[in-house]
Order: sequence, then structure tokens, then C-alpha cells
Amino acid sequence: MKRYILYSMFLGLIWCFVHGTVNFNNFLIGALLGPIVIRPFRSLYGFENKISYQKVIRKIPKLMRYFYVLFIEIIKANIMVAKIILQPKMDIKPGIIAVPIRTKTNTGITAIANTITLTPGTLTIDVSDNKEVLYVHAIDASDPQGLCDSIRDDLEEYVLEAFE
Amino acid sequence: MIEIGLIQDIISTFLLVVGAFFVFLGMVGLIRLPDVYNRLHATTKIGTLGAFGVMLSIVAKVGLEPIGVKAITVGLFILLTAPVAAHMIGRAAHRHGVGLCKESVIDEYGKEYNK
Repeated sequence: MKRYILYSMFLGLIWCFVHGTVNFNNFLIGALLGPIVIRPFRSLYGFENKISYQKVIRKIPKLMRYFYVLFIEIIKANIMVAKIILQPKMDIKPGIIAVPIRTKTNTGITAIANTITLTPGTLTIDVSDNKEVLYVHAIDASDPQGLCDSIRDDLEEYVLEAFE
Repeated sequence: MIEIGLIQDIISTFLLVVGAFFVFLGMVGLIRLPDVYNRLHATTKIGTLGAFGVMLSIVAKVGLEPIGVKAITVGLFILLTAPVAAHMIGRAAHRHGVGLCKESVIDEYGKEYNK
């Protein structure tokens, strides 16, 4: 029950933003509609996990650093893909490579998969069944080992810190 | 004497031009790149920044009016959903046997799920 109230308040806030005006009436409507949304998708909200507020608050600086890194990487990714597209002669060496990951939780895997897709030259295709390997399509796959290393050292560190 | 409105207009127009330019590049990439996976690179990354630029331009124009808040929300949702959509399209394409283009050098996914 406590969990329902917490998530409803969060959804109420999102409702305010979708509506455009942030005030108490909108927040109340959103929060009342929240349980109707949460109930059918209960299994996705992780009701069995415990959450501790201290842990969440301690993560905030790390999350901010993660979003900062993500923002920089998105800009770099766009410039890189723009360069490839505008080249008069297309010389690319694409390929799908397997990248081992250290994250174990579902949230962490989702975060790292989305981060890989938004960063330069890489696109997540699938997760292996045992959740240990991500299949990543790279626009320049001439050096698979180097790409694995760069994902592990540059991106996964931040994701591990922020989401685990 | 420069007014605030003028500066707002300049920033807004600049962001709009940048956003529209990136959307245009995404479309050029969609035509020029060889296969479905490379095309997804163009549409997700470039589409994200392009749409986000247009949304930011709306915010710069109107400030925190209802329409501006909505624009921020839409931008954040695009940022969240574009990678998921790309991942599902790529995965479905590969499982249906859409091959990689002939320039491709390696395919470790195909080895794993060869049917």
C-alpha cells in the first residue's frame, strides 16, 4: 500500500508535466489515476524489492554525473554520425560484436543498453539469455576488443555507480 | 538597447535551425546508409538530437508556459523511447533473417542464434 502511494505521487507529477500546468488539482488527478495504471503492470514495478531512501538520496550526485556524461556522449554521437553521413564516399565497416557486461540487475542492464544506443557508433541489438552478454551493432567494428574495452571503461563505470 | 524578447528569439531560432538540420541529416542517412542496422544509427541518434533541439527551441521561445513544459516532457520521452524502439527493430530484423550489408566485417550475434 505504501508503495502504491509512492508511485502514485510520482505518476501524479508526470501527469502535471504532460498536462503542462503544475498545480495541486492536476497533481491530485494524476495521483488518483496512478493506481489504475500501476495495478495491471504490478510485476514491472518491482514490488518485491526493498527500497531504502538513504540509498536513493546517496545516489543523486552519481546520477547527475551519469547524465552529464550521457549528454556529452549524445552530442559526440551526433557529430560522428553526421560526419559519416556527409562523407562523399561511404567507407564503413559495420558489424555485430558481443560485449560482456558486469551489471546484474534488470535496471542496470536497461540503463547500459540505452546508454550504448545513445553513444557514438554503437546500437544494442539484444541481450543474451543469461544476461551476461550484450550484442552491439557498431558502425566501425574493425577493432572489436577496443570497442569492448571502451564500453567497459568509459560507460559501464558510471552506470554501475548510478544504478546498482 | 537590446530587449529580452530579441535575445529569446535569436536563441530559439538558432536551436530550431540546429534541430531541423539534424533531422534533415537523419533523413539523408536513412537514404544513404546500406542496411537496416546502419540506418537505425542515423534515425535514433540524429532523430533524438534533432527532435530535442526543436523542443528546446519551443522552450526558449515561450519559457515555462504550459506548452513549454509539455515540450520538455515530450523531449525527455523521446530520449527514453528512441533507444528501446531501435533495439526492438534491430532485434526483430535480425531474427527474421535480414542480413548485414556486404561491407560488414563481423557478426557474433548470428553465430549465437543461427536457425
